[in-house]
Amino acid sequence: MAEKFKVSYREDMALFQTLWVKVWLGILIFLVLIAPTLLSRYQLSILIEMGIAVIGALGLNLLTGYTGQISLGHGAFLAIGAYTSGLLTGKLGVPFLLSLPLSGLMAAGLGLIVGVPSLRLKGLYLALGTLAFGFIVEYIIFHWDLTQGDMGMAVKRIRLGSFVLKTEKAYFYLVMIFVAGSLLCAKNLVRTKIGRCFVAIRDRDIAAEAMGIPLAKYKIMAFAISAFYGGIAGCLMAHYQRWIVPGSFDISLSIAYIAMIILGGLGSILGSVLGAILITGIPHWITYLTDVFKDTYPALSGLIVDFKLGIFGLIIVLTLLFEPQGLFGIYRRVKLYWKTWPYRY
Amino acid sequence: MEKIIEILINGLSTGAIYALLALGFVLIFKSTGIINFAQGELAMVGAFVCYSFAMLLNIPYVVAVVIALIIGALLGSVVDLLFFRRMVGEPMFSTIMVTVGLASIVTCTAGIIWGHDVHSIQSPFTNKTLLLGNLVVSQGTIYTIGLSVFLIAVFVLFFNRSLLGIAMKGTAEDPHTSGLMGIDVKKIYMLAWAIGTMVAVLAGIFLAEQSFVRLSMSHTGIKAMAAAILGGMESIGGAILGGVVIGVVEGLAANYLSGMELGNFHFGDIKDVTAFAIMIIVLMIRPHGIFGKKRVERV
Repeated sequence: MAEKFKVSYREDMALFQTLWVKVWLGILIFLVLIAPTLLSRYQLSILIEMGIAVIGALGLNLLTGYTGQISLGHGAFLAIGAYTSGLLTGKLGVPFLLSLPLSGLMAAGLGLIVGVPSLRLKGLYLALGTLAFGFIVEYIIFHWDLTQGDMGMAVKRIRLGSFVLKTEKAYFYLVMIFVAGSLLCAKNLVRTKIGRCFVAIRDRDIAAEAMGIPLAKYKIMAFAISAFYGGIAGCLMAHYQRWIVPGSFDISLSIAYIAMIILGGLGSILGSVLGAILITGIPHWITYLTDVFKDTYPALSGLIVDFKLGIFGLIIVLTLLFEPQGLFGIYRRVKLYWKTWPYRY
Repeated sequence: MEKIIEILINGLSTGAIYALLALGFVLIFKSTGIINFAQGELAMVGAFVCYSFAMLLNIPYVVAVVIALIIGALLGSVVDLLFFRRMVGEPMFSTIMVTVGLASIVTCTAGIIWGHDVHSIQSPFTNKTLLLGNLVVSQGTIYTIGLSVFLIAVFVLFFNRSLLGIAMKGTAEDPHTSGLMGIDVKKIYMLAWAIGTMVAVLAGIFLAEQSFVRLSMSHTGIKAMAAAILGGMESIGGAILGGVVIGVVEGLAANYLSGMELGNFHFGDIKDVTAFAIMIIVLMIRPHGIFGKKRVERV
């Protein structure tokens, strides 16, 4: 049989459902642990970027994939997180371990200004509200002396007690710890009551309300959690890049995050990870490819920036048209096919 | 006093453009139920096409505008055929996301074809002014306002008096029943896209005539969305009123708020975000817009 039957509640509630999941996770953790010794600095930096994207994409997937609310301003939450932590550690000397949760809380708190009014309504209103919010956040960062606008702002290195993170390797481990933590939180969240409420709201909000789920409470909770994840991702990104400009948090970042969760699979933790890895990897692959062809077509490298956004748009459209469940859906289908092979359902 | 009137007239002409864009937006929404986030991008393409024909190929301006309108209508039909015909009956989430994806595809393609430079269109009205008493108003402004008013009147008549317009309204209300009543729903959808894109293209050309042709002019589409929200998504009159209000408030803000400083925050380019601020305020106070109706839903 394709599906494993569960005979006890304990089995049904287990975090890791089968032995194989544990084995694969063990292999993955081992690979992550030895990665810095095998890979070059450039490859590590790509992995760090991917890890940060995984955290942000998880947040967006909790809101969009699980709760069914569209956010077009996820980039703004990253911006708020990045600038909050940058300002707190830079100007006030707040330690990183305190500024990290504060940047998440700040993103969630400011997001509620637009989230609370829009979430009273269905469908497009949150999309429009968050879109407007994204533009306003970008505008404020541009025009505030504190954030130094267009010039960009320097951000300090992460300091944990007396230990300063200087190498890519140290940063890689730190980001991976946060990725693991946020994956665990998200996984636990979606298998508890809150997660089931989210899914109920996504599937049919009026029916969910009739069943006794307070809509406003859970929608706002999903939105705040999503913004919190975004803020954390932004904070990690700021401290890694150590130089932040408002231009890097514009609408195209929000679209990149949407592309991640749609490509990976809406409403799936594994999907968010896959999507984040692929979408973050695509610009690097394009750079690699154009490097190969640079001698024959010199004009090509100037087009990368244009191509990037267009490819993300194309990925969103094609995925929704042909495989709305994304990579996770493909994975599940392939798995099912081989489990029952050579028979079919 | 004269300054205020001048600001108001200029605001009206920007507002007329927003109203036109919002009109195209409402048109597509009313007949297909799709919220088109790519409206501004389509307008941008229209402006670029007009620019290419009028300035690069030296075709007379009016002919270039007509060509741009025809290409716009074709583009709208192709978009419907390629993307949205397959999406009938899909949840709103998917259709919104497809238009968002479409917007970035269009921007990317336009960037590759026309580049990131800023161009300007020389129309017959450029740099010509009109004296109204003591007021100096550019001819382009007057033409923009006049043509927009005319078009809006045509659309109101079209939706209320013509058979096709009523068929479009009916399709929006209930596609299945209209299909049973003998309305070709597919044709109506395609027509809505063609007309909606054409209106967007026209708005784009007007906008280009007032300022420049460039990639970032697609942001105007989102401002038009603010206009549609302010007026109530389903009302043509609302879209027009919303566009005019946003245009005028934007003009006032640009004149009186720009350059102000509040602590260490300065309000440069406040014009760019006025519409968004209005949108958030509308969402807070009256989310269904001025003319929108609250919908009752059943499980």
